Amino acid sequence: MSSSPITSAALRRQGDEAPRAAGSDNAVKPFNRRRWLPIGGWEVALLVLLLAVLGGFSAGVPGFFDNTSSLLALSENFLPFGLVALGLSLVIFTGGIDLSVGATASLAAVIAAQIWSLYGVNIWLAAGIGVVIGALLGALNAAVIIWLRIEPLIATLATSFIYGSAAVAIAGDAPPSGFPEAFNNLGVGALSLGGFQLPYQIILFVLLALGFWLLVSRSAFGRKLITVGYSAEAARYSGIRINRILITAYVVSGAMASLAGLVLAAYYSAVRPDMGDVLLLTAITMVVLGGVSIFGGEGNMLGVILAVLLLGFLRQGMLIAGFSDMVTTMLTGGILIVSIAVKNQFNPRGGSLGQRLWALLRRSTTTRGSP
Amino acid sequence: MSAVGIHAARPSGRARLPRFSLNRELTLVAVTVALVVVVGIFNHDFIGVQNLRFMLLNSVVLSLVALGQTLVIAMRGIDLSVAPLLGLAAMVSGLLAQSHGLTLLEAVPLCLAMGLVLGTLNGLLVATLNIPPIVVTLGTYSLYSGLIFLYSDGTQVDSVPPAYAAFGNGHLFDALPLPTPVLALLIVLALCWYLLRHTRFGRSILAVGNNDAAAYHAGLPVTWIRVRVYAISGMLACFAGLMFVCYTGSATVTAGTGDHIELQSIAVALVGGTAIAGGRGNLIGTVLGSLFLSVVLTALVFLRVPPIWYSAGEGLMILAAVQSGLRRRRATP
Amino acid sequence: MQVAAKASNHPHASASTARVEHAVLSAHGVVKRFGPVQVLRGIDLTLRPGRILTLMGENGAGKSTMFKVLAGQLQPSEGALALNGEPLKLASPHAAHAHGIHLVPQEPLLMAELSVAETMFVGRLPLTGGFLRRVDWSDVRRRARNVLDTLGLDIDIDSCAKTLSIAQLQLVECAKALLHDCRIILFDEPTSPLTSYEVDNLFAIMRRLTAQGCTLSFISHRTEEVMEISDDIAVLRDGKLVDQAERGAFDRARLLSQMVGREMRDVPRRTSSCATTEPMLEVAGLAHKPSFENIDFTLHRGEVLGLAGLVGAGRTEIAETIFGIRRPDGGEVRLGGEPITGIACHALIRKGLVYVPEDRGRHGAVLPMTITQNITSGLLERVRQRAGLLSSSDETQISAKAVRDLRIRCAGLDQPLRELSGGNQQKVVFGKWMATGPRVAILDEPTRGVDVGAKEEIYELIEDMARAGLAVLVISSETEELVRLCDRVLSIYEGNIVAELSGDAITPQAVSASYLGKQATGESTLEGAP
Repeated sequence: MSSSPITSAALRRQGDEAPRAAGSDNAVKPFNRRRWLPIGGWEVALLVLLLAVLGGFSAGVPGFFDNTSSLLALSENFLPFGLVALGLSLVIFTGGIDLSVGATASLAAVIAAQIWSLYGVNIWLAAGIGVVIGALLGALNAAVIIWLRIEPLIATLATSFIYGSAAVAIAGDAPPSGFPEAFNNLGVGALSLGGFQLPYQIILFVLLALGFWLLVSRSAFGRKLITVGYSAEAARYSGIRINRILITAYVVSGAMASLAGLVLAAYYSAVRPDMGDVLLLTAITMVVLGGVSIFGGEGNMLGVILAVLLLGFLRQGMLIAGFSDMVTTMLTGGILIVSIAVKNQFNPRGGSLGQRLWALLRRSTTTRGSP
Repeated sequence: MSAVGIHAARPSGRARLPRFSLNRELTLVAVTVALVVVVGIFNHDFIGVQNLRFMLLNSVVLSLVALGQTLVIAMRGIDLSVAPLLGLAAMVSGLLAQSHGLTLLEAVPLCLAMGLVLGTLNGLLVATLNIPPIVVTLGTYSLYSGLIFLYSDGTQVDSVPPAYAAFGNGHLFDALPLPTPVLALLIVLALCWYLLRHTRFGRSILAVGNNDAAAYHAGLPVTWIRVRVYAISGMLACFAGLMFVCYTGSATVTAGTGDHIELQSIAVALVGGTAIAGGRGNLIGTVLGSLFLSVVLTALVFLRVPPIWYSAGEGLMILAAVQSGLRRRRATP
Repeated sequence: MQVAAKASNHPHASASTARVEHAVLSAHGVVKRFGPVQVLRGIDLTLRPGRILTLMGENGAGKSTMFKVLAGQLQPSEGALALNGEPLKLASPHAAHAHGIHLVPQEPLLMAELSVAETMFVGRLPLTGGFLRRVDWSDVRRRARNVLDTLGLDIDIDSCAKTLSIAQLQLVECAKALLHDCRIILFDEPTSPLTSYEVDNLFAIMRRLTAQGCTLSFISHRTEEVMEISDDIAVLRDGKLVDQAERGAFDRARLLSQMVGREMRDVPRRTSSCATTEPMLEVAGLAHKPSFENIDFTLHRGEVLGLAGLVGAGRTEIAETIFGIRRPDGGEVRLGGEPITGIACHALIRKGLVYVPEDRGRHGAVLPMTITQNITSGLLERVRQRAGLLSSSDETQISAKAVRDLRIRCAGLDQPLRELSGGNQQKVVFGKWMATGPRVAILDEPTRGVDVGAKEEIYELIEDMARAGLAVLVISSETEELVRLCDRVLSIYEGNIVAELSGDAITPQAVSASYLGKQATGESTLEGAP
């Protein structure tokens, strides 16, 4: 009871077998149980499924795997969804949702294209403006949610209508098309590395995915984001400024959606005011399949990244195998439900009806979650 | 709180919220009528019988879907799968009528049965598997969309038998020139209203929406109630699909999903005064809300507003509706 | 606490068993355990027909638990209940209801959007009509109106339940009991959220109910109102019935001594004090209406200052206001001489003020997150960063130091907090705040949900904090804890400081009496009822 103030906490306790290190003064020897990879059972399952999908289609479907370049080129068809999913997962980590990503993507791409075609601004500068617009639209979402205190589901539903309208209005009757080749390469081009074609989309996605992974799992922002998602109250009592975190999440979601819109524009070398509409549901499916809880907090980026690749390659493989687009959509829906049902079986948050009601009871005393 | 006084005189004013509040309905009617009159002054065609009839008819399909959505939201759930269910019913009944001579009398039970089965599936997934309703119905959204595509196999409905067209556009009684879809909607509305207001089941929907834990403690079969409400929502969506194909005489694979009728139905329910947090459902408000939407959209056409701003109007409408509801909730914490 | 429990016996147990034949509802030897913690230690309780029995006792004496057992919300671990002499088994609140037992919770569960009339009938709406069975609204409204009229309540049955005040909700619950022929009504501490006017009202209704033959029981801390309303009084202490008798047998002195314990309790008292005279936290005239007002005190370096009082006296609100979670209506707070009134908590943490909240699961910690993540959640800005990324080795070091220093028992630093015992969870919360290097620590119920063994460790931690020069403010509802820890104790009663004890004056009896006895002198307003 002498040395440093805290260390001297005496050990007077009965019947508590602490893991004592022999001969050590300390009661416990702190260590991390898992050091090698921040990866949980869910991510492993997704990885196994992804490998199974890749292996299965490569073996069974001619045309899926001719060479590595062609396999990678397939990803050009789904990576815009992945970009949206990356941004959207930040919002879902906070326990919110952003239904306006599709409309944001369209609006930002349309604005960028119009700036380019009407004012002759450099296409890359226009694209940059598009991303800024996307971020602003995200900020507007956050403003509606925080200051008007409207639930994220409703707020972003409403703004999605507004952004969608604006996109149609700005696109006009003949939306611009025929972007410069250099810009189109963002969607369809590939970096040639000695006979090996690496699509630019993949480079973009991998860099961003890596960035998001680090952001969520290793940065102070990510830690705060997860804390807010698990318990906004606890975050507040820990001195975390919740509104800052929420605004950042929605801004990033908007920016990523606009980026996806620009990539789509480059992919088609044209913009359409409704081209973002397809992004929303698939992106939510990717995030949820990736293990992020719709209630917030739980999950990690690696799962989302794997889910993007899993769903994407699954769809492409099925399309190549001759299944129609809608069958693959259907399968996507089935996978979503089954996977979440399976996950809930192993989830300590889930449980019997009784436990669930108890959880709801406790939840209702704090905040009423969105449905 | 003066109202607790034992011997105190009754407070002179009535309670702040009478049991049967007409505020929301009256507001919607007033706003709608005002809009019709104002636009009518500028353009006399707008208040012509033809146009009024058109606006009324135009709101029926959305109303039917939104009635089911209202029940689900009142129970503190959400049902995104109504859009593909509508499309599925439209395609199945339309294609069968087109190629196999399915009569209208067969089509109605067929659609209702389809909605019952698929809606029950939604309900079972939500109520027993502990998956949030938004995720479940997102999944079944994809599933049912796929079903549409599988069934239609690239074909589409472009002509329906005359009986269908008559059902969708004509009127049943000459004495009462009320279009049949409107009549059907009124009947469905009456049934739903009666259900929600005057049956034990309807009241338990609201009890679950208010506080499911308390409802469970009061001995209500919460799981079973949930399943039934999603089943009703499915049935109404499918019936709306049949109405859609009768009214428009055509259907493609994107019927319902293309118009984002799932989002529209949520919007209309909220505008009608249903609380997104559950516990309060206003069916009449929902129908009036969808009528209002129809009037607004038609008015925009008449005012030569570019159609592109239509959905922005919807968005602003939702924000305004939710904000007005919110303010009232805050007044009585 | 344990020592005290062993020393006490129940002198009136024989008297209460003798009266069983007149009992409506009685409990015999009821024991309730939650895991290793024994909350009820063999309670015999008798509710006599047409009378009001009051349960009294300090915080944590087991009163609410006893009520929950009687109302079927909890199953007794041992012992039995009897209704009119017949053995009674209650599997659920529903079953209790069927036997005519109704518990009015302190804050009734709300069906916010339903009408008042309907909330009384949820789950048992009457039906009418032949083929189309429909809800008989006229019957619902008539019966609801009648029962409210019987109670003389002027509540509009058609208004939304959410428009009712807590007092009205309680009365509606009460009406609900009558409506469904519940003749035994238990009130769980109904008066503490009520104004004195509302209390009078409730009491008038309770008298009317007993006149109609209902049997009532209620929980209260306020001796004044207990003496006013009760027919019988039972005093619980440490999960044991220490006294049950008719009201006439009690006077305030006896009530107090029974609640606090007549014999000297052998409570350890801290021996050394590290208090200095250097003020660290100065609070002047702080007010946050209606929770508290006129709060003045100064906390010195190295001092442990206790805030005593009943649950709901406003102590947590005081702490949260100082910590910047709530905005004060008036007054001033200074931290080491620097004014900090109205500064948000994230800035205060950086200035060296920390707060361990009362509700660990909701505010204090994030249970699904790991030990390390919880410990660093208060000082993420100060963790070493490389290229914007948190250095995991630095984080591990911080967390490992805390785990070592506080002797947190865990399987690893990446163990989710929810897998730890309550005591270790609390130590993690302590570790989180100690890692920020605070000057002033506010500890709200620092040993809530912590088992007895770990409590002592936490006490030693707090002493170490004081020794290291922190100024510590401890809020506790456990008298022994304050006696064990504090250099000075302030008693809070209904949002005001009513007493200050220091040095040897801090004894369990003195601390309890300082706020429990307050209403005996100060609260005459409650007696204004006819």
